[in-house]
Amino acid sequence: MNALVNNMDPHPEPDLNAALNQLWLRFRSNLIERVSTLESAAAAFADQKLSREQQEAAFAAAHNLAGVLGTFAMEHGTVLAHQLEMLFGFARRPNRQLAERLCSISAELRALIESR
Amino acid sequence: MLARKILIIDDEDDIREVARLSLESVAGWEVVSAGCGAQGMASAQKHRPDAILLDVMMPGMDGPATFRELRKNPATAGIPVLLLTARAQGADQRRLARLGADAVLLKPFDPLTLSVQISGALGWT
Repeated sequence: MNALVNNMDPHPEPDLNAALNQLWLRFRSNLIERVSTLESAAAAFADQKLSREQQEAAFAAAHNLAGVLGTFAMEHGTVLAHQLEMLFGFARRPNRQLAERLCSISAELRALIESR
Repeated sequence: MLARKILIIDDEDDIREVARLSLESVAGWEVVSAGCGAQGMASAQKHRPDAILLDVMMPGMDGPATFRELRKNPATAGIPVLLLTARAQGADQRRLARLGADAVLLKPFDPLTLSVQISGALGWT
C-alpha cells in the first residue's frame, strides 16, 4: 500500500454543491429507509427480539450511512452511524442501557437526516 | 490534470453516484461503474480503466476477493486499485494494507477533492 488518504473539505464549490443537493434529494428516501432499519432493530433489541438477520441488516445500514453521510457534508451523521455500527456489534445479550442508547442515536440520526 | 478513466465498483448506488459526480464534474474524468465484484471484473476487462476504486464491504464477492481476482487475471493485473472503506479503525486498515492494493481511501470522502486524493495516491500529475 502506498497511501492512506482522507481529506475532508467542508466548503464544496457552488456548482458541485448544487449537484450534490440533487443527489441528496434522489437518495434521501433510501437513507431514511436505512434509519428505519436501525430503529426497528433497536426496538427489537429493547424487546429482546432482535434476530441475527435483523442485527446484520442494522449493521449493514449503519455501515452504509457512516460511509455516505459525510460525503453530503453531514459529518455528525457519519459519527452517529459509526457509533451504531459499533454498538450493534455488542447487541447480543439483553442490556437496557445499550437498548436505550441504540434507540436514542437512531432517533438523533433520523432527525439529522430529515432536517437537511 | 490528464483525462483519466476510472472504474468504480461499489454496491451502494449513492456512493457510486457521488463518486461519479465528483470525478466527472470536478476532474473531467470518464467514469464507468459496477454494482458488484463480478460486474466489476467484467467491466475492468472491457474498459481497461486507468484505475479502479473498489469498495471493501460488498455482499457476495467482497472487495478483497474482487481485488485478488483482478490481480490474478493478466488483463487486469496491472490496473491500479484503490480500496474504499468506511472502516476507519487501525486494525481494519492494516488488514487492508496487507492485501497489496495501491492505496486505501476512507469513506466518507470529500467530493471536491476525490480526484486529487486518487491522483496523489497514484503519483499522477
